[in-house]
Amino acid sequence: MIPLEWPDGARIGGRPLPVVPDLARLRAERGSRLRSLMEVNGVDCLLLLATGNVAYATGATAPAADAGRAALFRNVAVVVRTDPYPHVFTPVPEGAPPELPSDHVHPPLYPDLAEGMGALASALAELVGPGTVIGVDEQTHPMLARLDGFEWIDAGAVLGAAKICKTPDEVACIRAAQRINELAMADVQAALRPGLRQTDLSAVLLRRLFELGATSNCIDPIWQVMEPSKELGPWTVHGDLAFPTPTTDRFLRAGDVIWNDSGISFEGYASDFGRTWVVGSSRHVEATKRAQFRRWRDVVDAVLAVLKPGCTALAMDRAAIEANGGSKPWIEHFYLAHGVGTESAEMPLVGTDLGEAFDESLEMAPGMVLVLEPVIWEEGAAGYRAEDIVVVTDDGWAPMSDYPYDPYELAP
Amino acid sequence: MSVPAASPPHAAHAGAGTHTLEEGPRIDLAGLRADRRVRLLATMEAEDLDVVLLGRPGNVRFASGARQLWTAGARSFAPSCVVVRETGGVHLLSVWDEGVPADIDRSHLFGISWNPGSLAASLRRIPGLEGCRRAGTDSLNPLFRSLLADVAPRATFVDAAGPLERCRRQKSPEEVACIATAASIAESLLACLVEAVRPGVTERELVGRYAEQLANLGVPTPPTEAVCTATARRGPVTFRQLSLARPIGPDELVVLSPGALYAGYEAALARTTLASGDPSPAHVHLATRARSGLEALVGSCRPGARGIDLLGAWQAATAAPLPSVPLVHGLGLGAEPPVVGAGLGEGAVLEAGMVLSVQSWSAAEGTGGVLLRDTVLVGTDGPVRLTRFPTLPVRPGSSEAAP
Repeated sequence: MIPLEWPDGARIGGRPLPVVPDLARLRAERGSRLRSLMEVNGVDCLLLLATGNVAYATGATAPAADAGRAALFRNVAVVVRTDPYPHVFTPVPEGAPPELPSDHVHPPLYPDLAEGMGALASALAELVGPGTVIGVDEQTHPMLARLDGFEWIDAGAVLGAAKICKTPDEVACIRAAQRINELAMADVQAALRPGLRQTDLSAVLLRRLFELGATSNCIDPIWQVMEPSKELGPWTVHGDLAFPTPTTDRFLRAGDVIWNDSGISFEGYASDFGRTWVVGSSRHVEATKRAQFRRWRDVVDAVLAVLKPGCTALAMDRAAIEANGGSKPWIEHFYLAHGVGTESAEMPLVGTDLGEAFDESLEMAPGMVLVLEPVIWEEGAAGYRAEDIVVVTDDGWAPMSDYPYDPYELAP
Repeated sequence: MSVPAASPPHAAHAGAGTHTLEEGPRIDLAGLRADRRVRLLATMEAEDLDVVLLGRPGNVRFASGARQLWTAGARSFAPSCVVVRETGGVHLLSVWDEGVPADIDRSHLFGISWNPGSLAASLRRIPGLEGCRRAGTDSLNPLFRSLLADVAPRATFVDAAGPLERCRRQKSPEEVACIATAASIAESLLACLVEAVRPGVTERELVGRYAEQLANLGVPTPPTEAVCTATARRGPVTFRQLSLARPIGPDELVVLSPGALYAGYEAALARTTLASGDPSPAHVHLATRARSGLEALVGSCRPGARGIDLLGAWQAATAAPLPSVPLVHGLGLGAEPPVVGAGLGEGAVLEAGMVLSVQSWSAAEGTGGVLLRDTVLVGTDGPVRLTRFPTLPVRPGSSEAAP
């Protein structure tokens, strides 16, 4: 754990933000939040299959894996509203939280296989009665064919409401993930020079992440070379920028503008790192590029100036657009800002195709974590993109990322 | 019996490298994609599926051949690839054309939506979806069940996961060549890890070495990060997958299981090495038992063999109860069915062309545990081992390093 200070007075629900998360307290608070939202939504039981949802509901850790493996050998969560502890069915019993009673840690289930249905049906019959309202995040065809006698509803309403505001310990986990990610990126940036390949940068990052205490890597790190104009980049369905495109063995050449993007997990919580670098420019960049960065900074500052509990996503959109001279400073298929937690992008989503009415109804609240990722684009001269994370506190916001903007910030 | 390492005839060039050569790629990836498309459409015809809506990344890759961004973990269902039988069209969720094979026209791409309504609108624009009769999905959830019912009001929604699994089960020569290439990458990773193991290094540091080397080899995404765990020298020995920040001790048996992916295809490989010192008779005994189990499993990978035959062969060779971990599972575009282990997959029947991860685990209190894992092709004439690495738990350079 890397020690870290929070600004004086930064509080969520009157509670100070810890530097070191208390994981047992985190799981207990998450569990009671989930169960009270189950009550509000009339859900007796949750049956969860998706990796991030299971981790949220149970606190159980499993090695990060490719999607097919993560599905076939998945952890499964069953949360019964009247039981203070969740049940986890897992091929990785050593990853179950220590406080979980042994009769809540079960052998794995195989909901993707027809032959796994007997065990799944027995497990449910043991824990809940017929007619139970069960919230699910995924129904495999074997489940649809073989699990009768329950009322199935989508778990999204309960999970979305539970996850949108973080507890102080959750915020501390995200901060720790971000810190590890930033420290590893400092080594990557120091190594950056013309002639490396994109995958060489991944190699430096991935090794350092694990040495620094990351639980896992969540995404193939992005080192996209941005061509000066949209026309020279990949074709897109909407005519706006393509980003993020996957990493290859592409050589990095002097003057290439790189937008990077990476995310790791610390105790189930994701980081989100993004900066713009210029290959071969360890010192300052030219005035055009510095102006792009200043515009990006102005947009972020304008958003932060309005950000506090009660501020709507629409007010943030408008502040960003105004600071960008009237046009939208984010990519068409993305957002001005998004949440981060057990998913690398989750609610609150600000500025998406959910539309103005949605954004007007979405009010910021203490404990919301926002990754601000405006994009400044200048046709012919590429652009600047970076991601900064803040947490909404009781009376404003507190920073959660702390990485320089070099070489854009350096004076000539 | 001992099965010699060999290459299947069609994989003669596999394992030689990953770069495209002047005369062309080592593996005919265009042919591979075309063959997969033909198989998928034939499956749709045989299963009477007008349309399939796929969300599982392995299925999406099988159908589209697109190189998409890798993220860890299993997400809930959302359709990101739609195949229409009548037109043969493959429609893909991709904002851009980079990484998308040229045989998928730009007009067949649709963008990311955060708004289910926008996604529904994108799906409605796919010719042949709105009026279809039978639509297969590879999974579902209540949200998409109602959204899809709205998009294709006349359709009955049925299982496409089973048909896709059967379609993917028997590998083409090109698919085997991809797995053989992944196998040689895994061997390279294992050699790196064997060299890095020593007392005092932590399991987590070795995961970092693995991830670094994976990227250095140009293939930065892992099948799993469960690649290094030391086994206990005292007390009960359990099979672990999570790596710890704990330094590895002298004389500990260390399980190294670095898998690899090439063009999406996975190879599995595991060996167990001693952190320091020379193997004791107890180490050799444990390793010999694990190896007997592995050889029995590999030798049983023949067309027509059933899961229960494999389990019986392992038990006869090791005289041990079945471990809690599965002994066998399918490989292809990631891990695939069948899964064979205690109480699982006894009725599964092996078919020629299947590729399997087979593993043998042997543990003894006071000594530790030995895991051995290989990738095996079920060949028409019998098993073909696609991974090669010495199997005894010895230090590099030791006189016992022979396979």
